[in-house]
Amino acid sequence: MPDWLELVRLRLTGLALEKDDLAQVVEELAGHLDDQYQSLLDKGISEQTATKCVLQQVMDWGELKSKIESSRLKEQTMNRRVSQFWFPAFLTILLAMSFLMIVEALGFEPWVSSAWGGPQGTVPVAVVYLPWLITLPFIGALGAYLSGRAGAPPWAVFASVVFPAVPYLALFVIGLPTAVVLDGHVAHNIAISAFLVGFGVWVVLPAIALLAGGLPARYFSRKL
Amino acid sequence: MIPSGIKRGTAELVVLSMLQGGALHGYEIARRIEQETDGSLRFTLAALYPMLYRLEKQRWIRGAWETSPNGRRRRCYRLTPSGKLKIFPLRKEWSELFAALHHLAGVSNA
Repeated sequence: MPDWLELVRLRLTGLALEKDDLAQVVEELAGHLDDQYQSLLDKGISEQTATKCVLQQVMDWGELKSKIESSRLKEQTMNRRVSQFWFPAFLTILLAMSFLMIVEALGFEPWVSSAWGGPQGTVPVAVVYLPWLITLPFIGALGAYLSGRAGAPPWAVFASVVFPAVPYLALFVIGLPTAVVLDGHVAHNIAISAFLVGFGVWVVLPAIALLAGGLPARYFSRKL
Repeated sequence: MIPSGIKRGTAELVVLSMLQGGALHGYEIARRIEQETDGSLRFTLAALYPMLYRLEKQRWIRGAWETSPNGRRRRCYRLTPSGKLKIFPLRKEWSELFAALHHLAGVSNA
């Protein structure tokens, strides 16, 4: 008698389901094949012919795999996206924003950056809270750990880690240009150099700080 | 034998109707469909289970593992309240379709 459980397990190799879910599908389909096999034997059909008949139930296992995935996965995909990306991303942004507020509330003096080429100290375009930047690698590491633990692909880990820099990126790429177009009286009389300094201080530096924690955390958590 | 295109459209109603009589496992659903339609409708494993999983995801049926007296574990499906509610509009849709076909081409739904 064929080992239906093993046969189905082999044929469904690569089926993208959670481990428990996959085991249940394998057991269920193997049970179906076994039921049919027994029923054919009861009718007096030989084992060889019965096995052949039963295997004709599935002409294309690849197609069956994709049908099972599409019929079972949608909900799982949603849950997976939440655990792999949305939860770590929103946690990192919440922590980053909270720490920035705390640092400001505690009265830490920021380092004030001026536009290149302008009179130093007269055109402040960015303020850098060093204590806040120091916390970002830890936040990035937490995001990478949570995302990686949920089995996220590299893009989701990366996005979760740098997510706190996204609002600033949006501000510089969409917000400020829009404001310049719609309103001629934008603060600090934005020049290209000021824009670049601001972009570097609020987008590039935080992203680097977040990745400085996130990438090693990702690397070491994969080693464990 | 009914062609697979037509069968696919009616499959949900067929399976939900089968489960009206009580909980059944996959093989039993397929066996009864074949038996009660004198072999006109036949669901292979490859056709049946993706549909059962889809109906389960839509919360029209619910599957649960049950162990038979001989110790064999089987996943039995039963209608959920929303599945029971779904049968009537599905039947109505198909009745309307058959009525329209009867009117147009003389196809009987008897």
